Amino acid sequence: MRRGDGGRFWVVIALLVGLQFSVRSHLGDQRVAPDFLLLALLTYTIRSRPGQSAAAGFIVGLIGDALTPASFGAGALAHTIVGYLSSWAKAVFFADNLLVNGGLFFAGTWLRNAILVLASGKFSGPQLTWELFVWSPLEGVTTAFAGIVMLVIFRSWLAVRMGES
Amino acid sequence: MALGADRYATRGDTFVLVVTVALSLVAMSLQPTTRDPIASSLRRTVLWPFLQLQSRSEQLRTSRAAYTEVEAQRDSATLAVGQLNEIRAENNRLRALLGLGARLGSGFVSAEVLHQAAPTDPLTVVISAGSKRGVQQLAPVVAPEGLLGIVSRTEDGTSVVATWANPEFRASGMASDGSVYGMLAPHDSKGGVWLLEMTGVAYRTHIPFGTRILTSGLGGVLPRGIPIGTVVATKGETEWDRTYLVRPAVAPGSVMHVMVLTAGRSEDLHATFAPDSTKAQP
Repeated sequence: MRRGDGGRFWVVIALLVGLQFSVRSHLGDQRVAPDFLLLALLTYTIRSRPGQSAAAGFIVGLIGDALTPASFGAGALAHTIVGYLSSWAKAVFFADNLLVNGGLFFAGTWLRNAILVLASGKFSGPQLTWELFVWSPLEGVTTAFAGIVMLVIFRSWLAVRMGES
Repeated sequence: MALGADRYATRGDTFVLVVTVALSLVAMSLQPTTRDPIASSLRRTVLWPFLQLQSRSEQLRTSRAAYTEVEAQRDSATLAVGQLNEIRAENNRLRALLGLGARLGSGFVSAEVLHQAAPTDPLTVVISAGSKRGVQQLAPVVAPEGLLGIVSRTEDGTSVVATWANPEFRASGMASDGSVYGMLAPHDSKGGVWLLEMTGVAYRTHIPFGTRILTSGLGGVLPRGIPIGTVVATKGETEWDRTYLVRPAVAPGSVMHVMVLTAGRSEDLHATFAPDSTKAQP
């Protein structure tokens, strides 16, 4: 991150948080609508250390848990692990590439939902299967699409390269 | 696999991960008596502006829908003015548009459902009405189709609703003709869809599939006559009783607007709800 980019970066994060609480409920079925809060977390993890990302994931997850008390703690666990793995994997394996970032958003969403439903213990049988292999992938696709659109629009603010590094 | 892993995850990073995972596990193991105040304080402080934003957003959508409806009513009224003989019929149609709120009369608070992204969102939902507007714990929460759940916790401006899908939900139900009673609880989801189980139905009685199930009013928490769902199958039977599967009337994941019944009601609410309310899919 260049000096002076920090403010712009946080503007994008704030925009995503605002979209989560204002626009998301207008985007159709809640099970597949893009999760802008998770997108903000994953965007943060792309350029942060794994420890920082784990802490950010914990905070985001705990805040989410306050709004869905049926799975209190499970969201914090899921976001912590996803935040850490995203930051670690991005640093170790991934090039700074638009489609790779889209794949990261998809995988992060799916993994977050998988950990959440498994850790909460509220789903079983076919319902768990549907959640893991239908609704979560669909939400992952919409979140990845929203993430790619965000990166295209704000690529200069987020300093993301469009091709292979 | 761990190419360069040591460079990218220091001991400090690993320490933070371990601490946050441990804190998450502690949070998961908290009892509701400890967990709820923490969640409540987060909703009243950090999340308060965001919940207000979400509530305003839902109200904006409601306003747009209401504006469209008002426009339609205005157009209808204009036509009716030109056809005086039909004003009475037009009034009747407009009254019908008022819907459930008018049928309930008073003693309710309308609220928007503030859905979240988590897959467990349908189990407990946050609504945009709290104790300041008269919402009390254990108050029934209904949609035009029937029962959504019960208020499990209230704050000043928001409330948490344990929906019928919540594992802790229980309700005393009866067949719409009052002939059969049983206890309703969430199904164990082995059927692949969100269903309720109606247990404790006496073996000598039989409930035909398609029968509407209403709250019985027993226990004093839920008023009598709120639609819960429709019997769709038999789950099993013992020598003494049968268990039925009930398709709920209200889908917690998609309901956007609800009413919280605030006044203690002793009357039968069956006639208040639309007769085909239990046809909705969960």
